[in-house]
Amino acid sequence: MDKASHLSVILDLSPTQWQLSAQSNVSHPLTLSTFVSHLLAFLNAHMACKDDNSLAVFGALPGKSVMLYSTTTPMDEKAVAADANTYRPFKILDTTITQTILDQIESISDNDVEAPIDIVGALTKSLCYINRVTNPANSRSEDATLLPDPRILIVSVSPDQSSSYISVMNSIFSAQKLKVTIDVCKLHVADSVFLQQAAHLTGGSYISIERPDALLQFLMMSFLPPPSIRQLISVPTQDKIDFRAACFCHKNIVDIGFVCSVCLSIFCQPVPVCSTCQTKFPMKTLLRLKAAHPHTPPPGTPPLRSGTPANSLPRSTSIAPGGTPRQVSNGNPNMLPVARSNTSATR
Amino acid sequence: MPSVQPPTEDSASSVEGTSHALLAFLQSQSQNTLTRLYQKPSSCLSIFRLLGPLERQLVMNLLWLESAIPAPTMAAWVTSEGKKAYEIALSVLSRLHVLPQYTVKLALNVTFKTSLRQAITGGGTSGSFGAPAEKDGKHPTPSIETLDTYALERWETILHYMVSSGTGRNPTKPSQGVLYLLQRSGLMANAHGPSLQITSSGFQFLLHNPHAQLWELLLQYLRMAEERQMDLVEVLSFLFMLSTMELGRDYSVEHLSPTQTAMLEDLRDYGIIWQRKPSSKRFSPTRLATTLTSSSPPLPTSSGSGADGQRQGFIILETNYRLYAYTDNPLQTAVLNLFVTLKSRFPNLVVGAITRDSVKKALANGITADQIISYLTTHAHPQMRKNVPRTHRTKQKPLLPVTVQDQIRLWELEKNRVKSQEGYLYTAFASQADYEYVLNYAKQLDVVLWESSAKRCFFGSLEGHPNIRGFIERRAAGKS
Amino acid sequence: MPPRRINDSYMDVDSDESDVSILDDDAGPRKSKGKGKAIDRGRDKGKSKVKEQPYAWEASYVRSWDTVQEDERGSLQGAVQDLIARGRRKRLLAPAAAIRRTIIRHLIILLDLSSSMMDRDMRPTRFDLTLQYTREFITEWFDQNPLGQIGIVGMRSGIGERIGEMSGNPQEVLKSISERHKLEPNGEPSLQNAIEMARSSMSHLPTHSSREIIAIFGSLTTCDPGNIHDTLDECVKDRIRISMVALAAEMKICREICDKTGGQFSVALNEGHFKDILFELIPPPAQRAVPRASGPGINPAADLMVMGFPTRLPVTSPPALCVCHSELKSEGFLCPRCSAKICDVPTDCDICGLMIVSSPHLARSYHHLFPVKPYQPVMTMEGVAYPASACHGCAVPFREIATPAGSLATDGMSPLGRYRCPECSNDFCGDCDVFVHDVVHCCPGCGK
Repeated sequence: MDKASHLSVILDLSPTQWQLSAQSNVSHPLTLSTFVSHLLAFLNAHMACKDDNSLAVFGALPGKSVMLYSTTTPMDEKAVAADANTYRPFKILDTTITQTILDQIESISDNDVEAPIDIVGALTKSLCYINRVTNPANSRSEDATLLPDPRILIVSVSPDQSSSYISVMNSIFSAQKLKVTIDVCKLHVADSVFLQQAAHLTGGSYISIERPDALLQFLMMSFLPPPSIRQLISVPTQDKIDFRAACFCHKNIVDIGFVCSVCLSIFCQPVPVCSTCQTKFPMKTLLRLKAAHPHTPPPGTPPLRSGTPANSLPRSTSIAPGGTPRQVSNGNPNMLPVARSNTSATR
Repeated sequence: MPSVQPPTEDSASSVEGTSHALLAFLQSQSQNTLTRLYQKPSSCLSIFRLLGPLERQLVMNLLWLESAIPAPTMAAWVTSEGKKAYEIALSVLSRLHVLPQYTVKLALNVTFKTSLRQAITGGGTSGSFGAPAEKDGKHPTPSIETLDTYALERWETILHYMVSSGTGRNPTKPSQGVLYLLQRSGLMANAHGPSLQITSSGFQFLLHNPHAQLWELLLQYLRMAEERQMDLVEVLSFLFMLSTMELGRDYSVEHLSPTQTAMLEDLRDYGIIWQRKPSSKRFSPTRLATTLTSSSPPLPTSSGSGADGQRQGFIILETNYRLYAYTDNPLQTAVLNLFVTLKSRFPNLVVGAITRDSVKKALANGITADQIISYLTTHAHPQMRKNVPRTHRTKQKPLLPVTVQDQIRLWELEKNRVKSQEGYLYTAFASQADYEYVLNYAKQLDVVLWESSAKRCFFGSLEGHPNIRGFIERRAAGKS
Repeated sequence: MPPRRINDSYMDVDSDESDVSILDDDAGPRKSKGKGKAIDRGRDKGKSKVKEQPYAWEASYVRSWDTVQEDERGSLQGAVQDLIARGRRKRLLAPAAAIRRTIIRHLIILLDLSSSMMDRDMRPTRFDLTLQYTREFITEWFDQNPLGQIGIVGMRSGIGERIGEMSGNPQEVLKSISERHKLEPNGEPSLQNAIEMARSSMSHLPTHSSREIIAIFGSLTTCDPGNIHDTLDECVKDRIRISMVALAAEMKICREICDKTGGQFSVALNEGHFKDILFELIPPPAQRAVPRASGPGINPAADLMVMGFPTRLPVTSPPALCVCHSELKSEGFLCPRCSAKICDVPTDCDICGLMIVSSPHLARSYHHLFPVKPYQPVMTMEGVAYPASACHGCAVPFREIATPAGSLATDGMSPLGRYRCPECSNDFCGDCDVFVHDVVHCCPGCGK
């Protein structure tokens, strides 16, 4: 029961979001430096729990992801001055992480700031890393029971990027395969659909922290216990889980989608040809679907769903998928020739 | 290859139970002592690491709270399966005075809280993690290999001395302080003449894993420290400080208290610290010291037997009781010799067999069958471990051949087959009636161990003798 | 264990190409020993090494330890690396383009429950082993084909016996075969009866789903009421794909059924091989070319379906009646269209008829659609100004010096242990290369 655990932390270092977060007009401002100091205390606590606990910290930056620190990479020990008042491994950890975060943030050029945050890169990197440290072939010990228990904590400040839907889902499934728990700590921004699913599918906890002054306590109570202890101490779980997906055509997050029966690609509106597997759909179906869903949202405006799904469903009343189309005239007649030309183009 | 250090220190440490040997010792200390101990961040950190996982989590939950929280609030966090473990954890913490009065409100001991916070966040002026020595151009810091070799040599000298004390060979003697400690702890005794002989608890000691051995000696040292009028808090905090130091670094002796300076000599003898010369102003902790509160193996690889061999175990045991030990370490060979009949020795291999006689000899020395089995399991060759997960049908296939395990246990039971009991044999009764009359009386007292009416005698236990004797005398007196 | 892994990828590759007949040429010459059966065997797509030899007793005995060779220092590392290299090469041969696969699958498992299943040539018995592997198979199958459905039919005492109805819930399917005493083998099997039963239970299925039968057959006889070839023709007409795993030996009719319906036929050699060939049938088969397509390129099976992605309610939410069982429950899923409360997904909403699936179910199959491009082995460090010092994935440092073994290079192994993503030009170590392609399906460098 009392075996070593490995923690991979993924930090969302979006300059824009942290800037917003530090502004004083936000109800509970939180600067990056305050956050890092809380985080370091948390990481030290993780390392304090057991001597052979291991740690890896990844940073997700605009357009790239980097490994900030890991217990296995040899650090330049000389750079850290000896200090009688601090436990040396903590000192090394603190200094290295602070330094690398600073370096990385410095290196962001102005053009890059708006690039999407590479959470996926950081996530896949941490999975590769966990694969390495938990792979019995790489470890000296042959006994699989002695390998550390891995888990991932994602600290996220940015909203979802729907373009990374497939990659995030693939990462989640590989985490499931590796038996890695993914915990999500969400700061400030609205809930992330994908990360919610990540935590749910891997048995982790998803916690949205509204009051950053209690951040450390949240970290300690919810994210410090390794999975083995969580059977004994209940860790808060999320309430509602949104199983929405992002469509392949416009990367909108949809709750009702049109799915290709051959490859299961999701589209936000009826399309004549599947963009993924080039399957052509019968015209009959297309007409029927278009008729049934005249209010298909135009690309670019994701249908938002507020907290209570019951009163936010701007659906048409004609919801008889198998029935005869009632409002054929509502369907866009111009779509037909387009569909044809598409067909011939892909031939 | 760089990888996380696997906690190779075997199942034996978890078999010991979740609670560390030192915790029991700490729990027996007074609140005053503990509070003084908690003033050092390094001590708090080390004690924290010795706690069980649930206890650690509880401490962490409470560490950053300024005010006490009501007990029911905390209990609400615990799932129904965890209730029992939670209660145990609370009582352990309270006995350590980390969590006083846990029935109503939960709040950490203020001293402990401040120190542990300081340990985690750094800072403060306690200097409890050891003052690093100034760079010295003349004498460079010893390399980690030097330290390992030193620690290993010291430690194996002690063990070797113990193993071979009975055999008449004369190994290198450890220093006087070590000998005194061994004697005091009851691991060795001078039963016959002036020379020290290993005792049965000494034999048991040899089969423990190095981590347990080290702590057993240190606990003994702590008890001795009390008698030697040393300040226990000073001794303990020095040990804890050592455990948080970094391998391969020099530390200065300047900030040590007189007690701690005195300890340097003892610890040097045990191989826990290294000093260039006794008067040196600097010392380096060895791996024995830095792994005191961790589960990584406290001893580096044994001399010359290869990097992986020792760490992963070296014993292959076959179902035909043959045992192959891939080692060239005389200590390991000597320990094996305790319960194995060694047949042949090769440069890196010892072949032997577990026989009735060899196990009997071990049992006679006070070693139990379970200890033999656990030693064999702990040091089993990786090749033996490999076979375990492959059998997917039976969930838990034992590491060692079942026949051998059972036979060792049976041999132990064999020892218990004959039970001796002192008593008296009553014989030469004049008549059958006399015999039965006395026998009946003895039976009423429930002291008859054996009877034979054909031979007209019975055997009564020692405690029944005065009564029976009195009874016979009275009867004889009445007859005459 | 590396050899197993290679085996797996072997199979993957082959199943990907099961419609392509390129392997025929490649397998042909090797069959020369096949004694007139060579032509027949040419179709078996060189599935595994086993079938390269016509009969086990004709083959010279291959000692498994002969296939690995020690290097001059007596180490096996070189041999193991060589095996890994071959596995890599196999994988690289796999087409990088998206293959069309059937994803909504319907499968009937035919279990032989005839008395021949009590044979003990597989431990503990054929029957027990079959049950055990079938359970594992079902779990794994649902894991990879979350929208599929499985039914189970038994062959016992000359009749087909419906053991489990078609269901999309793994628990239900597993439950139907959980009680061993109800499945006690007896009598003769009837292949025809069982196939007819399976066929009838799949006749109503929509066109866009696949219909498959997997038979685990231990007997050497089948006891049929009519002409089994008629049944076979019906199956071909209904486009039912039949695959068989024989536990005893090959029977001509079984081979013919599988060949004509486009399935796979294989004979299990031992316990491990049995499992391997059964699990080979898990990945979704590539979509078969439809001979009588209504128009060029138009697949009549393809359709666009409307699906809803629900919201999951936690156990702590206020209880409400569910529409499927009318029970008061707190946890459940909300239909995104009509907000009806449903107990389980995937299902059709009882109120508005919307097909409700949880999106992770769909997403599980996406890695088939968007495979990561194979990484190219880096042969030389020349021309690279600042080579990365560590793997871009797991940060393990690369070795500095190239291994001189020249044979590795031909097998797609990098002498530097570096594999470069063609998209983002980052270098990865061998372990990450395999891990990214086999498990993550997403390149850490470019996220594709």
